[in-house]
Amino acid sequence: MADFQTSTHRTKWIFTPQELAEKYSASNQRAIQILEKYGSTLMEVDVDGSLSYPEPHIAAKDSAEKHSRTKPVNIEEEQFMRVFYENKLQEVCNNFHFPHKIQATALIFFKRFYLQWSVMEHHPKNIMLTCIYAACKIEENHVSAEELGKGISQDHQMILNNEMLVYQSLEFDLIVYAPYRSVEGFVNDMEEFFQVADDQFQMLKGTSKMEVDKIMLTDAPLLFPPGQLALAALRNSNAQHKVLDFERYLRSMLSHQNYSRTVQELLEALDAVDSWVRRYKFPSEKDLKHINRKLKSCWGQSSHDESKKREKKSKHKSKKSSNETHAPSHG
Amino acid sequence: MGDGTAASTTNRGHSSSSNKPEWLQQYDLIGKIGEGTYGLVFLARTKSAANRGKSIAIKKFKQSKDGDGVSPTAIREIMLLREIPHENVVKLVNVHINHADMSLYLAFDYAEHDLYEIIRHHRDKLNHSINQYTVKSLLWQLLNGLNYLHSNWIIHRDLKPSNILVMGDGEEHGVVKVADFGLARIYQAPLKPLSENGVVVTIWYRAPELLLGAKHYTSAVDMWAVGCIFAELLTLKPLFQGAEVKAMSNPFQLDQLDKIFKVLGHPTLEKWPTLANLPHWHQDVQHIQGHKYDNASLYNVVHLPPKSPAYDLLSKMLEYDPRKRITAAQALEHEYFRIEPLHGRNALVPCQPGEKVVNYPTRPVDTTTDFEGTTSIQPSQPVSSGNAAGGMPGAHPSNRSVPRPMNVVGMQRMPHQSMQAYNLTSQAGMGGGMNPGGIPMQRGAAAQAHQQQHLRRKDPGMGMPGYPPQQRSRRF
Repeated sequence: MADFQTSTHRTKWIFTPQELAEKYSASNQRAIQILEKYGSTLMEVDVDGSLSYPEPHIAAKDSAEKHSRTKPVNIEEEQFMRVFYENKLQEVCNNFHFPHKIQATALIFFKRFYLQWSVMEHHPKNIMLTCIYAACKIEENHVSAEELGKGISQDHQMILNNEMLVYQSLEFDLIVYAPYRSVEGFVNDMEEFFQVADDQFQMLKGTSKMEVDKIMLTDAPLLFPPGQLALAALRNSNAQHKVLDFERYLRSMLSHQNYSRTVQELLEALDAVDSWVRRYKFPSEKDLKHINRKLKSCWGQSSHDESKKREKKSKHKSKKSSNETHAPSHG
Repeated sequence: MGDGTAASTTNRGHSSSSNKPEWLQQYDLIGKIGEGTYGLVFLARTKSAANRGKSIAIKKFKQSKDGDGVSPTAIREIMLLREIPHENVVKLVNVHINHADMSLYLAFDYAEHDLYEIIRHHRDKLNHSINQYTVKSLLWQLLNGLNYLHSNWIIHRDLKPSNILVMGDGEEHGVVKVADFGLARIYQAPLKPLSENGVVVTIWYRAPELLLGAKHYTSAVDMWAVGCIFAELLTLKPLFQGAEVKAMSNPFQLDQLDKIFKVLGHPTLEKWPTLANLPHWHQDVQHIQGHKYDNASLYNVVHLPPKSPAYDLLSKMLEYDPRKRITAAQALEHEYFRIEPLHGRNALVPCQPGEKVVNYPTRPVDTTTDFEGTTSIQPSQPVSSGNAAGGMPGAHPSNRSVPRPMNVVGMQRMPHQSMQAYNLTSQAGMGGGMNPGGIPMQRGAAAQAHQQQHLRRKDPGMGMPGYPPQQRSRRF
């Protein structure tokens, strides 16, 4: 939809860095409280799409000791997990040769989802796949859950179970704006503005898209509108190729549009985008191992049998436990 | 927003069967008002103090049968409605999820009327035409909503009288709401041909370029439909009432084109240069190029003087070449809207004294059906209280209205609404300020319903001279 100004993307899903930090902290805290209360955090998503937290362990005393050994993941570690699975998400999309737009939509869905939840509550692998599935549906590139599941040897029922949860967590705001189109638009505009050979622009466009790929893996898409992300990418790409006078372009663009910002403000925003890219950290093998170990215990997967048992029981008790889910979310 | 989302998971009321899910308890269910391929549409009233008694149309989407998750139609409609708040577009006030069967319920502001029913009432009951003020006001508001959609790069693709809703009594009385966005698309991305979506839409309002096999559509297809609707408002009869060829994957609709050519004359390459590129024209398997149509005269069909502004506007909407067809924005500026009578916000009640106000019937409500679509024991509520009281000339004598023959009502899809308020988060969502708006009906109904529709369609008589069941349209 053309009108970004009135979109839910702009009005609801662009945050300040502080708001973002608060959200991450709130869901992390909530999961930690649940861990303390129940001894594990992974929510179960039933076939019918309803959710429930784990049952408190029956042998309360025994488990109390055990719980004290179960360490929650911290905020930074959550970030690492998201980063790891966002990379996976790109990989899966590339393997399926999905268009950029789908990948970008899925990534934004994934990021928004984990503003509401902790990775301790919903396995990022499942959510990643469900986000891809949902993005395909939204972008009219329908791929059946079965096909998607097969392609990556995962149970597709898990995708279907999580689908409604994902839409709900996204508050059904499913139209998202990715910077790739903005890049196209700006390059077209620049072509009119500067008399430069076409192949130069093609080169600029190509590297800009790679820059956007990098930006998409950071939190920047939750902090800046897609146009600014695109400009940041173009600026970096132009710095490599020196195709045009970028600031001159910005000045002319701002003077032509009724844009309330000054060039200076815009440049600061682009700098901020750059700094998110610079600060981007991919977890080391060792980090991952460590986090995965913690997550497994948070998910109560240390003892296989026990989790199996829980699955069965949840059918009967889930009603109760799901009622309890209300409270923690406000905590 | 925020965390609420997480919480809203609770609807677990489905211990066995009939327990009402929690979200449902905020409504008094009145009854079923429509059904179609995708599910059922219900009329309900809110119980919350803030909006007590407010009518809401609830469109239920069944889970898609192919085992592939949430209905894409529902998702598409929701996502569009979230982004397009406009007075002339239906307002989605809430989305509810029934976890027991994974069905989605879209709650819209309820609209008591639609153009299908208004036209039918004039044709079959009143036997006189719709007054000029009403026609003009309806048309202007329809164009106004459409202009908004088109400027947001959305093509509706399924405009027809039953999808154009009109608000009943209340603050928005007589305000038009474009509804049923299940087929609507954002057209920045290349659109897949209709056939690929397995979509079935009514052909009477379908633009000639689509009938001739154009693969891409533009917003001009909606303007063609508006032209057809305009003519129907004037004459009370569908303008191009072709017999539909039923077959898999978008067959050539010879009769529909024939009906169009008879009224508008043969299209020519001079008038429509890209005609030659359209597959069905080009291949000409059924020799349509060779047909001769004499005496084409749209103005005779619509009984308008050829020099009148109304005729001028209509003929510009029914321009063959989609590139020359008038746009919604241009149409709003047309002289027709600048001459008396001037259009108004309440399309149903002319401001001029002396004009007779028509009391349109309210929608029939089937009070024996519950949300599951099964018949319930619920005694019929004072259903008709509000509603029925008003109009209902003759048609439904008893208190409890009779469901209309399915076609009628049901079909429209739900409307959408503007979005902002969705509060999906908690079930409680609706409470907030909802406004008037939407109307719902939906089209989709259960499989059974669907079959029935087919049966009905085959029945030639159909009991409604000239009026086909509304075509409900689409299904996957």
